[in-house]
Amino acid sequence: MSATLALSSAGRRTPDMLRAIALPITLLVAWQLWAMTLPDDTRAPSPASVVAAFVRLCASGNLPISLAQSFGRVLVGFAIGLVLGVSLGTLMGASRAVRRNIEPIIESFRPIAPMAVLPIAILWFGTGTPAGLSIVGYAAFFPMLLSTAQGVSRTDRNLVQAARTMGVSRFRILAKVIVPAALPSILLGARLGMGVAWTAIIAAELAVGAKSGGGSSGGIGQMMFIFYSYSIDMNGIVVCMIVVGVVALFIDRLFRIAERHLIPWRQ
Amino acid sequence: MQRSIEIDSPLPVSPGNPARPTLAAKVAGYPAVLSGLVTLRSFAVFIAIWWAAAAWTHSPLQLPTPLSVLTALKSLAIDGEMLDNALTSFTRLAISMGIAVVVAVPLGFLMGLSERANAYIDPMVEVLRPISGIAWIPLALFIFGVGDVLPVFIMTYVACFPLLLNTIAGVRGTDRRLLAAARTMGVPQSRIVRHVVMPGALPTIMVGLRLAFAGAWSAIIAAELIGSPSGLGFAIEWYRQLLMSPKVFAYIIAIGAVGYSCDVALQALQRTLTPWARGTELA
Repeated sequence: MSATLALSSAGRRTPDMLRAIALPITLLVAWQLWAMTLPDDTRAPSPASVVAAFVRLCASGNLPISLAQSFGRVLVGFAIGLVLGVSLGTLMGASRAVRRNIEPIIESFRPIAPMAVLPIAILWFGTGTPAGLSIVGYAAFFPMLLSTAQGVSRTDRNLVQAARTMGVSRFRILAKVIVPAALPSILLGARLGMGVAWTAIIAAELAVGAKSGGGSSGGIGQMMFIFYSYSIDMNGIVVCMIVVGVVALFIDRLFRIAERHLIPWRQ
Repeated sequence: MQRSIEIDSPLPVSPGNPARPTLAAKVAGYPAVLSGLVTLRSFAVFIAIWWAAAAWTHSPLQLPTPLSVLTALKSLAIDGEMLDNALTSFTRLAISMGIAVVVAVPLGFLMGLSERANAYIDPMVEVLRPISGIAWIPLALFIFGVGDVLPVFIMTYVACFPLLLNTIAGVRGTDRRLLAAARTMGVPQSRIVRHVVMPGALPTIMVGLRLAFAGAWSAIIAAELIGSPSGLGFAIEWYRQLLMSPKVFAYIIAIGAVGYSCDVALQALQRTLTPWARGTELA
């Protein structure tokens, strides 16, 4: 896959590292220079004041607390989506009858974005943590379900039949044959689901904050909303954005490492 | 390359979605009519459960009955309000997908063809990609204010990444033998790009387009819900605040319907543009 067409003469004069940071650094410097031309009382963010805001938010404990809140919600909501998605996905993958009956319903819910069900979640659960959890669970459910169903349905029939011929019980076939065979798909679904879940919680917190006049939801998303509407702190918002990005990256890498360790046979 | 493609897509229209029901039915030797009946029965059961739950909870605010949702759907459809909002959202979607294609596809070709351009630009892409479109909303609210530009910006941002990454993957995945053959025959570089690389990359780009749409469609709801005075996302939140639950549900159904029909349209486009890639596009 790494083969390239190499239309340009491959110039190796500039070291890789330098090329990698060239564009980000240029943009950062340009941003800082632009910010320095603005009047002193500007609200526009600049790299230097973003760093200052980061230090301030960490020192006051606001950022770590909000991060923990958001992340805790993602973990719990994701666990809900995982349990539901994997169990239903296994059923759908294993039995054609179940799949045929459930798939139309699943397919009609799938194009409904998690954010679209947020108003219902607020009607049902109020503006607190349960609303966030349900959105996260809903968001994580679909990738989990589809990947699991796919993984299970693609299990090598010969292996299942061999196990059955040897009189292995249904439950042991599930645990020893089907689950290991479907594991790569399930892990892929988990990685996708976790990524979506993280986006969903930020959106939910942001919207709950925006639509319930602050509310009491807490979390990174609400913190961003407060910076937007009350303290008008754009530097704080940029700090939150960076934190959101770093956490997303961290989640992604974590799942990749898990994939490498849990399914070493699939390199 | 798969790793780059999946991260932000809420609806993984990805490498092997489970077979479509019709396909499954065909494989099983089931006639299409029977599979249609099964689908109908599933919906009937679903609506029956919904109705029973609504009757049991007896709280029309939290769970309106299917009938009241249908009535709301009908009245919204008749007075044209739903169509207006759907058209607003759809126009924003179309504009941002257009911008995203114009920006991301040429950039993807550049990055896929030139190792050096890739070395410079790719790190920037990797820095931005983990920051979800949603996280840009507050900052974009400062910059663009509440209005049309905000959802378009957010959606364009969201749509760019899958398109860009799939274009790069498609360009790089061009069959080496075809390239070598064209080169041996002395075809100039620009014509190789036009007649070999482009058709070779198109199936992957189309998949990127569907992923981009899925991401953008999910982001527009959030963007409109928070920072726009019109559109489907705005409407559901508006009726929630008015506590008109049947209309909230009706709009949610509309969101699903528009999202679904757009995906069906994109699939049709995919089949028309790349008929040769049918079934193998993601192999």
